[in-house]
Amino acid sequence: MRKFTYLVPKTLDEAISLYQSYGERAKYIAGGTDVLVKIKEGKLAPDYLISLKHIISQDRPFLNHETGELYVGAFVTHRMIETSPLVQAHYPILYDAVKNIGSVQIRNVATIGGNLVNAVPSADGAIPLITLDGKANIYGAKGQRSVDLLRFFLGPGQCDLERGEILTEVVVPRLLPRTGSAYIKHGRREAMELPMLGVGVLLSLEADMETCAKAGISLGVAAPTPIRALQAEKHLVGKTINEETLAEAGKIAGEESKVRDSIRGVAWYRREMVAVLVTRMGMKALERASRNAEVGMGNK
Amino acid sequence: MHNFCSVGKRVPKIDAVEKATGRAQYIQDLKLPGMLYGKILYSKFPHARIVSIDTSKAKQLPGVRCVLTAEDIPDIKMGVYKDNRPLKKGKVCSYRDEVAAVAAVDPETADEALNGVEVIYEPLPAIFDPEQAMKEGATLIHEEHKTNVLRMPWKLHYGDVDAAKKEAAHIVEDRFTTTWVTHCCMGASGSIAEFDPANNLKIYSNTQIPSLAQKDFLDALTAMGLKGNRVRVIKPVIGGGFGSKLDTYAYEYIAILLAYHTRRPVKVEFDRTEEFIATSTRQPTITYISQGCDQNGKLLFRDINMILDNGAYTSWGATTPSVMMMPITSLYRVPNVRYEAKCVYTNNTYAQAMRGYGNPQATFAIESTMDMLAEKAGIDPIEFRRINANKPGDVSTQGLRITTCGLEECMDAVKEKLEWEKPKGESEGVGLASLIHVGGGARVYKSDGCGTIIKMNDFGKIDLFTGATDMGQGSDTVIAQIVAEELGLQIEDIHVIHTDTDICPWDVGSHASRTTFVAGNAALGAAKKIKARLLELGAKQLEAPLEKIALRDRHIQHQDDSEKRIEIGKLLRKAHFSHGGQMLMAEYFYDPANENMGKDFRGNMSMTYTFGTHGVKVKVDEETGKVKILNYVAAHDVGKAINPMLLEGQVYGGVMMGLGYALTEQVILEKGENMNPNFRDYKILTAKDVVPIEAPVLETYDKDGPFGAKGIGEPGCVPTAPAIANAIYDAVGVRIKDLPITPERVLAAIREKKGLDLCGQELGRDDVDECIIEE
Repeated sequence: MRKFTYLVPKTLDEAISLYQSYGERAKYIAGGTDVLVKIKEGKLAPDYLISLKHIISQDRPFLNHETGELYVGAFVTHRMIETSPLVQAHYPILYDAVKNIGSVQIRNVATIGGNLVNAVPSADGAIPLITLDGKANIYGAKGQRSVDLLRFFLGPGQCDLERGEILTEVVVPRLLPRTGSAYIKHGRREAMELPMLGVGVLLSLEADMETCAKAGISLGVAAPTPIRALQAEKHLVGKTINEETLAEAGKIAGEESKVRDSIRGVAWYRREMVAVLVTRMGMKALERASRNAEVGMGNK
Repeated sequence: MHNFCSVGKRVPKIDAVEKATGRAQYIQDLKLPGMLYGKILYSKFPHARIVSIDTSKAKQLPGVRCVLTAEDIPDIKMGVYKDNRPLKKGKVCSYRDEVAAVAAVDPETADEALNGVEVIYEPLPAIFDPEQAMKEGATLIHEEHKTNVLRMPWKLHYGDVDAAKKEAAHIVEDRFTTTWVTHCCMGASGSIAEFDPANNLKIYSNTQIPSLAQKDFLDALTAMGLKGNRVRVIKPVIGGGFGSKLDTYAYEYIAILLAYHTRRPVKVEFDRTEEFIATSTRQPTITYISQGCDQNGKLLFRDINMILDNGAYTSWGATTPSVMMMPITSLYRVPNVRYEAKCVYTNNTYAQAMRGYGNPQATFAIESTMDMLAEKAGIDPIEFRRINANKPGDVSTQGLRITTCGLEECMDAVKEKLEWEKPKGESEGVGLASLIHVGGGARVYKSDGCGTIIKMNDFGKIDLFTGATDMGQGSDTVIAQIVAEELGLQIEDIHVIHTDTDICPWDVGSHASRTTFVAGNAALGAAKKIKARLLELGAKQLEAPLEKIALRDRHIQHQDDSEKRIEIGKLLRKAHFSHGGQMLMAEYFYDPANENMGKDFRGNMSMTYTFGTHGVKVKVDEETGKVKILNYVAAHDVGKAINPMLLEGQVYGGVMMGLGYALTEQVILEKGENMNPNFRDYKILTAKDVVPIEAPVLETYDKDGPFGAKGIGEPGCVPTAPAIANAIYDAVGVRIKDLPITPERVLAAIREKKGLDLCGQELGRDDVDECIIEE
């Protein structure tokens, strides 16, 4: 393996200043589960690795009780998200996604920020967060900015980060009442698996507990970037949520997707699975929304 | 039955703690003083003429000690058919062809040097489909061979199949295919070669055939002009074999050549990508099969024509038809059998032995069509198999002599444990498939033997030198149990040494599920010799008649008088430290009385045969095509379980390997290029994928096996795929004839059955798009 110098800044500013000193020869690293693999494979050859692991920041997701916003720091590991009672209780879509990423060993070190900035279409972490209308907070030499996470992904391996900029956190806005959500990774085995398809569905219901007030449908590996199936979402709003309407939405989502053939799956199958899994995740989200309403918790 | 002390006990592997605590020394852990690192440059084309190779840049790189191409080495021929060379001359025939090799002071420098080797290729038309490659005028892989079909006439005809076809009341006929899968040994390949000043070779290598590898390397030395020099093969701890280490490989010869040229030890160690790309696979097959039975369900004939993708070179994969003949002629009673197999050169990767050695491929076609035939005849699948089951005393058309046979009992066990007749839920189904496999050695070479030497020290402990190879399956433990049992010792008293051809006797190799049977019998034979001498010494010491004394708990004792006893160690010291002293040593070479195949492929290749039946309950998701295994029962007639825990381990591991073969695993070759050389995209199943497995063990006490045991190394993965395919058919009425049985294939078949296209529409849709990058 190629040799490199490992740098350990303690603050964001220090990290950015190091990056400015070394420029192209440097690469940020957090958990390292992707960066180190790429170095070993010869796809990356940095002289300097700037670790973001020692920057003081929140190490677990937390809720701002005044605004109802969920903050997920970029350097939070998947395991921290997976084991967060807050996430498990109120953001099951995120829990569904992170609990099946790689293996426990990988989730113990891999960070959610790393998953996002890799910007691969199969990023399990991205789908729930874009379904939840997450915003990416970005910090760089020019200061802080914020962008819709959905727009953060520009293409395979490309995201909206200027040179030296660091994704610092994702902010999820307050959930509407009577909301339920679910995610499924469709793959061939139970661990160490990239999704052949990832499907996330969020439903917020009217007080009648059956009419759709808001829908979020997101797809991974269905296009060059993680996408929202906007037409399918639109189709659901104002309608009664049931297997039939969800199947219609699934079909529309399938048509909205830009699935392709690859060694991991063929296009026709992926498109079919979009329809099937949107329906299934929709039913699961509906059930969760009802359950939440019954026990009168969460999603205020 | 005899009351055993060691045999039949659930003893953990004797090397378990060492392995679990990271102290076991694999090839990756070994480092010799002054050692260099060798790396190999592979072809960039599936088929191309090598116009020129310029190594000057690589040679100038600081730290590079040697760069070799075919021009620099003698003509060393490798493989079963001697059609392969360590470094390719003139042209390359597959992506895994070795073109150049370097040795450098560290792996990074060696890698850099590879980049400095400039090869100019002239691409040639390539061929990847064996059925195309068989056609007249097809591009030749090896021009001098004149044809792409190997001259290995696998062809037999017993009885009269054509006449039987006319008599048959029911006939099924179909085509089945299997694809490339690979062993996925956790310990990747590697070897270290070193010459002493007199040019004797010492090679540390992962091999399951130390004695045959030694012979191969001796031939290489002869080609190098070193005829008469010695070769010593040392095995480090091996992290899995599964057949992959049954041949010698280019990388081993390259290590030898680099060591010879540099006068330094050279290590060649594969990384995981290389392990996927440059080691061999299971042999892919295309099988045309028909079977027929009479009104009562009695099998009348089996007719099989098979095409095997040999890849560009020939290793043991090309000889798998010899083992396929066993299930084809002898799984169930079949009076008329015809079989022909052609191995065909292509520009794909070349195949090797892999657990089951052709048996899984053949059994997939046989047991799938057995269910189809049962359905046609209107007979329950278990009853249909029972009508045709092998029985003790049978001699099959091929001349296999069935001694012990618990096949029907295995079927009964599956029927009971799987609750075969219980009503099933929606989209649920059950299926089963049986197996026959060699269980008492397999005479594929002139000798099927194994030697053992035992020496006892002054403390009543044993050093046991065996030819056998423990590559993780636990043979050291089983051998220790057998010897401890025979001599009244504890398992920890037996130190099994199998690592060094300088001190260990000859063995044909750890293959064919033969080690417990053959090496076990060899160890038992040596132990019996020791026992006779111990008893003789003991009788004298205890002043008792021979027939009155026994070995127990590390003592020799009088059977009627428990006060009359002496510790074995003490007895040995007395024998050693006295005038005209003696020490106890014994050797035994066991060669089973099995037979080589004759010209017509008849012959009792094994002393005994292992039988088994696997049954599985599945639930098929009809919307996604996913198959969920609800329960799996793998029943085997093993003769006698020497170590039930290790035996279950073999069965569990075999079943999981079989499940991967059935459902998920595939080396994806696109025009000869490996598209998934990593565990991310090669879908070997993980610990989280393990399904509920029950492994009932039937003991039939084979008279020829050590304490009645038969081999069980391979059977676990033999009938898995057809059992699952049969269960899927039972669940949703679709028959999948191609492996792996992916959700896509299942869904497509379900849609086809419903008269729909792939997208659930009545009209077709064009879905062929270009690939995208995704990770």
